[in-house]
Amino acid sequence: MSIDTLHPAPAPTRPRSPGSRFKRLDTITKIVIVIVIGILLILIGYPLIRILTQAFTSEGRETLLAIATSPVNRTVLWNTIILGVVVGAVGTAIGFCFAYAQARLQFRGKRILHLIALLPIVSPPFAVATAVITLFGRSGLITNQLLGLEYNVYGLSGLTIVLGLSFFPVAYMNLLGMLRSLDPAMDEAASNLGANRWKIFRSITIPMLVPGFASCFLLLFVEAIADLANPLVIGGDFTVLSSRAYIAITGEYDVAGGAAYSLVLLLPGLLVFLVQRYWAERKSVISVTGKPSGRVALIDSFWGRLPIMTIVCAIAALIVTIYVTVFVGAFTNILGVDNTFTLSNYQYVLGGIGSDAIFTTTVLALIATPIAGILGMVMAWLIVRKVRRGRGALDFLGMLGLAVPGTVLGIGYAIAFNRPLIIGNLQFLPALAGGGAILGGAMAIVMVYVIRSMPSGQRSGVAALQQIDPAIDEAATSLGASGLTTFRTITLPLIRPALLSGLTYAFARAMTTLSPIIFITTPQTKIMTSQILSEVDAGRFGNAFAYCTILIVIVISVIGLMNYFVSDTRSASRARRASRPVSKDVSA
Amino acid sequence: MKSRFALALTAAAVSALTLTGCVVDTSTPAANEDDAELGGSLTVACGAMEDWCQAITDAFEKKTGVTTDFVRLSSGETVARLNAAKDMPEFDVWHGGPADGYGAAADAGLLEAYDSPNAADIPDKYKSGDGSWTGVYVGALGFCSNQAVLDKLGVDVPTSWDDLLDPKLKGQLSTAHPSTSGTAFTTLWTQVTLAGGDEDAGLAYMRQLHNNVLQYSKSGTAPGQTAGRGEVAVGLVFSHDCVKYKEAGMKDLVVSFPEEGTGYEIGGVGMVKGTDNPTAAKAYIDWVLTPEAQEIGATVGSYQVPTNPDAKTDDRMVDLSSVNLVDYDFDKAAAEKPKLTKRFDAEIAPQPKE
Repeated sequence: MSIDTLHPAPAPTRPRSPGSRFKRLDTITKIVIVIVIGILLILIGYPLIRILTQAFTSEGRETLLAIATSPVNRTVLWNTIILGVVVGAVGTAIGFCFAYAQARLQFRGKRILHLIALLPIVSPPFAVATAVITLFGRSGLITNQLLGLEYNVYGLSGLTIVLGLSFFPVAYMNLLGMLRSLDPAMDEAASNLGANRWKIFRSITIPMLVPGFASCFLLLFVEAIADLANPLVIGGDFTVLSSRAYIAITGEYDVAGGAAYSLVLLLPGLLVFLVQRYWAERKSVISVTGKPSGRVALIDSFWGRLPIMTIVCAIAALIVTIYVTVFVGAFTNILGVDNTFTLSNYQYVLGGIGSDAIFTTTVLALIATPIAGILGMVMAWLIVRKVRRGRGALDFLGMLGLAVPGTVLGIGYAIAFNRPLIIGNLQFLPALAGGGAILGGAMAIVMVYVIRSMPSGQRSGVAALQQIDPAIDEAATSLGASGLTTFRTITLPLIRPALLSGLTYAFARAMTTLSPIIFITTPQTKIMTSQILSEVDAGRFGNAFAYCTILIVIVISVIGLMNYFVSDTRSASRARRASRPVSKDVSA
Repeated sequence: MKSRFALALTAAAVSALTLTGCVVDTSTPAANEDDAELGGSLTVACGAMEDWCQAITDAFEKKTGVTTDFVRLSSGETVARLNAAKDMPEFDVWHGGPADGYGAAADAGLLEAYDSPNAADIPDKYKSGDGSWTGVYVGALGFCSNQAVLDKLGVDVPTSWDDLLDPKLKGQLSTAHPSTSGTAFTTLWTQVTLAGGDEDAGLAYMRQLHNNVLQYSKSGTAPGQTAGRGEVAVGLVFSHDCVKYKEAGMKDLVVSFPEEGTGYEIGGVGMVKGTDNPTAAKAYIDWVLTPEAQEIGATVGSYQVPTNPDAKTDDRMVDLSSVNLVDYDFDKAAAEKPKLTKRFDAEIAPQPKE
C-alpha cells in the first residue's frame, strides 16, 4: 500500500501567466485527459447518478422515510454502524500487531509471517466464514467436538472474527509501510536521553502512528459496512443494511427500495473516505525525505517481544487453521459430520457449470487487470505531473470506485446498464448488463472489475511518481518529446514496481469480489464468487471449499506469473535509485 | 502540422462514435418461428436442486441436440429477474420451484401461456387453469430434525406447528426468507390457510416462530443442511430434500409432519414471455411432462412425487395419502405473494428476537 504523503523537492518558482493551465498542455495530453474523464464518468459517474435519481423517486423517498422512522430499521442502521466500528478497531489492532512484529521485532520466519498476513487478500470472502462455521459453530470441530462447548458463532461475534481476519491485511500493509518509513533518529535520540523501550513505544512510536491508525480504522469501517457476503452466511439475526438491500433487489426487484438502502450505505462510506483521505493522511508525521537515515535496532529481548509475539502467533495460527480447514474440507464429504475422503466435491466443481464459472471469471479478470493497471498509471501521471487546478477533483473521481461500497456499485450498475441509454430517440449506450445485453453482460462485469481495482493502482502510482524528480520529465520535454512519449519512455519504466503492485491487487480483487458482481451476473457469465455463495447458501460446504481452493490457487499462480514478467530488472532499479531527490548526481 | 492532424483525427473519431447512437427502432421484432428443426440454444431458470437441473438439461440436450444451459435460482429471485429483464428476457423456460411463484409471475405478465399436448396426461389439480404453468412434481412441507441435537435439548421430534414454538428450541430453527424462497413462502401461506385465510393471524404465527429462528437463508433447501450438520435442531424444508440429505451422509436426520396439516408444493414449468426460442421452449415443456423425464429425479436423489401418473415412483418418495395436506389455494397464494412477502420483510424479519 502507498504512503502518498511524501513531498517532492520543491520546483523553482517561475512567474505564471494568469491564463488557464489547460491551454499550456500539449494536445495529446489534453486528449488523454478528456478520454480518461469520459471513461470515469461512464464507469462510475453514471451509475451513481442513476442511484441518486432512483432513491429520490416517490417509492424511494418512502423507503428512506421508513429507514429513518421505523424503530426496526433504526436498529438495522445502528447494527451496521456498530459492525463498522468494531471491525475497524479489531482489524486495525491486528494489523498493527503484525506490522510492529515485522518492522521492529527480531525473530525467524518473517517471510512466512508476511505471507500468512497476506493470505486473506487472495481468497474469496466466504472461505473464512464457512471455515469459521465448520470450526467454531454449534457443532464445530473445535468448539463442540474438541472442547465440548456450544458457542453461537452466528451474529456480531462471528462477523467480527470473519471480517477482522479478512480485512486486517489492508491495515497491515499500510502500517508496515509507515513503520518502515519512520526516521529511527527519533528513537535513537530518545534512548540517548535514557528512555527505555516501553517509553519509546508509548511516547514516540504510537503518537507518530496515530494518523495511520485513524486512516486504517476508517478504511476498515467502510469495508465492513459494505460487505454483503458474510452477513448472509454468518450474520444470524444481526441484520445489517447490505443484506436488506440484497433481499430488496434479488427477492422483490424493489429498485427504489434497493437504491434507498444504497444511498444510506453510500453516505457514511463517502464521508469516512473523505475524512480518511484529506485529514488523516495530511496529518501524517513523516520526515521530509522519507528515507530513514539509519537502521532501526530490532528488539530481541524475550520480555520485549513476548506480548506482541503471542498475539501475532495466536492469530497466525488461527489463519493457518482456517485455510487448512478449507483445503481439507474440499476433500471431505461433509467436514464435521461425515469425514470420509472424497473427490466428488472437485468432480462437481470441475464438471458442468463449475468449470464454466472458473474459466469465465479468470478470463474476465485477466481482461480487466491490464486495463485497470494502465488506467491507474495514466491517472497517477495526470494527477502528479500534468493537471494542476483540477488535481484534487480528478483524484477523487478516480478513487470513487473504491470509496463507493461494493453493494451500492452493483445496484447502480444493475439500474443503470440493464436498459440501453436512450435520450430522445437516440441510443447512446446499448444495454451492457443483464442476459439480453451485448456479449451476454460480460462488459458490465469487466467495467466493474476495472473501476474497483483502478484506485489502488492510482494510489501506488501517485506515491511512486511523487518520489521521482520532475526534472527528468522536464528534460525530456525540453528535448522535444511529447507528453505521451515522456510517459512511455521515462515515467512508465520508473514506476514499474507500482504498476506491478497495482496489477497484482487488481487481479486479486477482481477474482475475489462479490458484492458488486452479484447483481449483474447473467446465464452466460457465471462468476465463481457468485457460485460459491450459492453453494454456501445451499449448505454444500464441501463444494464451496473446493471452489475456494481452486480460486486461491489460480490467484496465486497468476500473481506469480505477473511478478515474473513485469518484474524489476537490475538496470531499472539502478535508474530509479539514481533519480531520487536525495542524491545529487542524476544519471539518466 | 502534427498536433493539428492529431486533433482532427480525434475529432473525427469522437464524432463517429456519437453518430453511432443509432436511432432507436421502436417496431417490435417479428417472432422467430422458423427454427423448426431443433437446433439453437435454450436457457432455463431452474428452481430445484442443482444436480437435478444438471441431469434434466443434459438429458434434454442429448435427446434433441438443443444446447441447454441453466441457472439455479430460488423462486422469488426468478420472479425478480424475469421482471428486471422484461424487455429483453434472459431465460426461455422456468422449470422447478413452487407454483405460487409461477402464479405471481403470470399475474405480472411474465409468462406465456402454453397448453402442451402432454399436459392432457397430468391431473387437473396439478395445472393452472389458463396454461401459464403445468405441474411436474409434488412435494410435502415437513420438519427435518436432527435427532442428536433434539436429544441434547431434551425435546421430542416435533409433530405439530405448535411444537416449533417451544422455548427450548430458541435459536434452533432454520428456515428461508419468503421473499427469495418458494419453500419458505409455502410455510407462510400454510399458516394463513390453517388460520382460515386470515393473513394477520398467519403472520402472527410467523412472528412467534421468528423468536426461535437462527437466521433466514436465501435458498429453501439450506435449512435441511443446517439441521443435518447439527447447527440447529429443526429445519423447515420439503420432505424430499430431507431424505436426500440423509442419504448424502447426514445420518441423524429424521422426517416428520405436523398433524394439523401441512402445505405442499407443485413444482411447475412455464414458458417465459418474449423468449427468442419458442419452438425449443415448447419442446422442452412437452418433454418434461413425459414419464421418462419425470423419472430422472429419483436417479439423482430428488424424491419429489411425479405428476404424470404413468411415471414410476420410488419407495423413498413420500406417500402423499399418509400426510394431512391442507387445502392449498395456489391462485390466491400467488395473488397475495408480493404483498405478504413485503410485509414479512418489513414487519418480521428484522425484528429483534424475544
